[in-house]
Amino acid sequence: MKKPFALSLIAAALLAAGAARAADPAAKPAGVDAATAQKLEQQIDLMQQQLEALKAELGQLRKQNESLAAQQQQQAVQVQEVAATASAKPEGGISPNLSLWGYGEIYYTHPVHQPEDTTADLARAVFGIGYRFDDRTVFNSEFEVEHAVSSADDQGEFEVEQFYVDHQLAPWVSVKGGLFLMPFGLLNEHHEPTNYYGVQRNFVETLIIPSTWREGGFAFHGDTDIGLTWDTGLTTGVNLANWSPNPEDPLYRTALQLENSGAAPLQASHQELQLANAQHLFEYGSLNYKGVPGLLVGAAISTGTSKASAQTPDQRVTLWETHARWTPGAADLSAVYARGSITGTAPYNTLNAGGSNPMPSKFYGYYLQGAYSVWRHNGYRLAPFVRWERYDMGAGYEGIAPGFSPVPGGLASDGRPWPQPYDRVWTYGANFYLNPHVVLKADYQSYQTNSDFTRFDLGLGLNF
Amino acid sequence: MPASDEGKMGTMLTGFSTRLRLSGALVLCAALAACSGGGGSSGSPDQLSAAARLGQKIFVDQTLSVSGKQSCATCHVAGFAFASDNSAGGPDHGLPVPLGGPNMDLSGFRNTPSLMYASFIPAFFFDGDGNPNGGFFRDGRAATLADQAIAPFTTAFEMANADAAAVIEKLKTRPYLADFTAIYGADVLNDPDTALKRMGAALAAYETEDPDFHPFSSKFDYWRNGQATLTSQELNGFALFNNSTKGNCAACHPTTSANGSTPAMFTDFSFDNLGLPRNANIPANADSGAPDYTPVNSDDGVHTYYDLGVCGPLRDDPGLNKSGICGQFKVPTLRNIAVTAPYFHNGQFATLADAIGFYVRRDTNPEQFYPTDSGGNATKFDDLPALYGGQFLVNINEPSSDANYAGNVNTGEIPYNRRLGGQAALTPDEINDVIVFLCTLTDGYDPAHPAAQVLPAQCRAAVTASTP
Ligand code: HEC
Ligand code: HEC
Repeated sequence: MKKPFALSLIAAALLAAGAARAADPAAKPAGVDAATAQKLEQQIDLMQQQLEALKAELGQLRKQNESLAAQQQQQAVQVQEVAATASAKPEGGISPNLSLWGYGEIYYTHPVHQPEDTTADLARAVFGIGYRFDDRTVFNSEFEVEHAVSSADDQGEFEVEQFYVDHQLAPWVSVKGGLFLMPFGLLNEHHEPTNYYGVQRNFVETLIIPSTWREGGFAFHGDTDIGLTWDTGLTTGVNLANWSPNPEDPLYRTALQLENSGAAPLQASHQELQLANAQHLFEYGSLNYKGVPGLLVGAAISTGTSKASAQTPDQRVTLWETHARWTPGAADLSAVYARGSITGTAPYNTLNAGGSNPMPSKFYGYYLQGAYSVWRHNGYRLAPFVRWERYDMGAGYEGIAPGFSPVPGGLASDGRPWPQPYDRVWTYGANFYLNPHVVLKADYQSYQTNSDFTRFDLGLGLNF
Repeated sequence: MPASDEGKMGTMLTGFSTRLRLSGALVLCAALAACSGGGGSSGSPDQLSAAARLGQKIFVDQTLSVSGKQSCATCHVAGFAFASDNSAGGPDHGLPVPLGGPNMDLSGFRNTPSLMYASFIPAFFFDGDGNPNGGFFRDGRAATLADQAIAPFTTAFEMANADAAAVIEKLKTRPYLADFTAIYGADVLNDPDTALKRMGAALAAYETEDPDFHPFSSKFDYWRNGQATLTSQELNGFALFNNSTKGNCAACHPTTSANGSTPAMFTDFSFDNLGLPRNANIPANADSGAPDYTPVNSDDGVHTYYDLGVCGPLRDDPGLNKSGICGQFKVPTLRNIAVTAPYFHNGQFATLADAIGFYVRRDTNPEQFYPTDSGGNATKFDDLPALYGGQFLVNINEPSSDANYAGNVNTGEIPYNRRLGGQAALTPDEINDVIVFLCTLTDGYDPAHPAAQVLPAQCRAAVTASTP
């Protein structure tokens, strides 16, 4: 409460000064001529305006102050909450129906064989606003700034991550509409940095499941008494016309660029409801079973059609996955398998014969991960983990010109070979939680195929 | 390597037969949504606007020149994709640059480009990275097609009129004057500068509207629409053209639509410096022997005139002071490239084999392209001042002598990122494959009668016997 107090002091001083000045001319002896009177009047008018402005400013300060206080209060509430951090959306504040939340991450990544590509980045800062209209209707939205600065010339992006209304029709079924996260894998709906191990998200749920994956549409979802949750809907889908069949240079040279380049099959073509081509809708369904404490198993599928170019036939795009997570005691074991396919790629690839980035007909990935909380004290928690994963963004290709390979065989113009779209990756590291909302991370990743990608990472993540 | 004359020999389509085939293609195009794009082009020539019909008359009217022997169509010949007629016996045979002027004996500075698909060129602009794009002429100096069209009338070594007034005096004598005044009014004739601009607008309308300038009737277009099949050699050439580690041609000459609807243009309208050899057959390059209208823009003691493309001297932009782009020229379309020899802004190469050979052997075998003494000293990029990275001396017997090149010539992009003695990006066989592919970009293909299209000799010569 110190800062607001100082501010009100300054404001009071300013007000007093203004009043003194306003009083001054009025105190002059009588006999002032018309011109001076007019001048004085003008001056008074001006001061009145200044006063109004000050008043408005003060009002604003007060409001800011209030929301700050609200935030602090929320944080306090949050810190006490030792529950799982996933999508914690506290209520209260300015209006008891309004909720604010956020998360963010900063990291440092050092490719050991390409130290010149060492990068530090405020990768994302996300702010959420929710509003509960009544017991059965809520609105949620999330806004994300990626890579710190967002303008036409910078690398950053400003994105709407979610923007939807959810309404409960009956105790067992709700309907939602808008832009929402797809219920795929373990990470997509729970992508706050405190929720996953490792500085960067795993590859399976980045390159195969294009998290953070959201689509516009509507869906029904609900829970059953036996612990089954279901979710099914119609959404916008991928637009294969966004595919870039023949980039001149590799789309990525490091693991970090690989994750951010949008090179993966569904990353390249998913639309994020940005003037999305809504001619073809995709349908999806997901099932999760949470009936046994500490266990989660589930699966999801999405499918629909798209067209890569006017000259290619309608193409069916399908992605399915299955996942499991088991948290017996201090252990945290998880696995995800995801697989996708695109039909009708042969004519497309022939029309782009020799291209450096043909469209794959199949892609998949899976990982196994184990973590163990070895130490807990005073809210601190240390959890080392290990993950093995395999991804293949081009497990099948059709229509490749005879004598050509899906990945260019020669050297790129930077004099180095083209990276391969598949790999097997070991990740060793640890998450160190200062409290459930702030985590420090470190890991080391080694790559079997693109061994240049091997890297050491440090990260800081938080959510509130 | 001496430029051969083979390029334009052999059978060429005459303007007449082109037109016949094109109209056949147009009917087909009208039935096919994919042939869109031509700025409202999918009609027959008599659906042209009044301005375009007027433009067509101006385009072929030699009376508008001082010599009385030159029109736009003299240099931009319909049967040669509206580039110059370099065929044996043709008016520009063996010349890298066209003739013009009052007596038709003055040489120009640059090779005549094809006008086909020119209406798709965007107005000149600098992109976000400060690189030039688009515009008309090889240096982009005219902002629009209409701006461009007024220049030849008053260029001393072309149609050679003293000024706009001289052109308008001639216009007043022409049978189509009534068409002109019907569209633009009679008053404008009292203001010759504006009247000439109107003539330019009419020419631009003609080049934009008449489907002869953009029929999209090549074998490649029919193939993309599923109505023709490429031979395996053509397909291999296409793949080599696309492939980032082989030809990488598509990096500047894209083979896919830029906007999803207009078919591929085979140019991205950017500019580049290829480091072409100085062409001694251009009179303007003769230094002391150059024609007196040749600009002087160098005192480097080597040459008095260099054609530096986007940074002059033909282009005169006071605000344009970016030495890094000196020597850059606009990427031209490669549609109809088989019939528009010679090649590049200075017409240096008479055949596609030589042009592509230059791309892939410029750095591995500079002695084939640049002046080289008996000691093996080759002067690379001899048509660029040393100031901009020209006159680059290497010794072909010392493989490291070309290391550390710093200058304006593009040496970083495939296919011309090679070094002395290295492997060329394309083998001679692969060059042939690329040539046969480029020949599929020739308009006037009829899927019902493929044999009716007679391609130039250089196309037929590149077909390897083993291909079906
Ligand atoms: C003497 C031969 C000659 C005549 C006559 C001539 N041109 Fe050209 N044209 C050329 C040359 C050479 C160039 C390239 C000049 C340059 O880049 O500086 C050119 C360039 C052009 C371009 C630019 C194409 C591009 O890709 O940027 C257009 C359009 C054009 N001419 C239209 C016309 C029209 C219309 C006329 C009649 C008014 C005409 N030309 C008369 C030789 C000629
Ligand atoms: C980095 C850009 C770039 C790449 C890559 C490139 N070109 Fe070009 N191309 C140009 C430019 C710029 C010109 C015009 C240069 C000039 O006239 O000075 C040109 C001109 C040409 C011409 C002459 C056109 C005419 O009308 O005279 C041909 C033929 C050609 N390119 C073929 C190819 C082929 C084949 C490849 C691949 C082996 C290729 N280009 C790769 C930029 C490129």
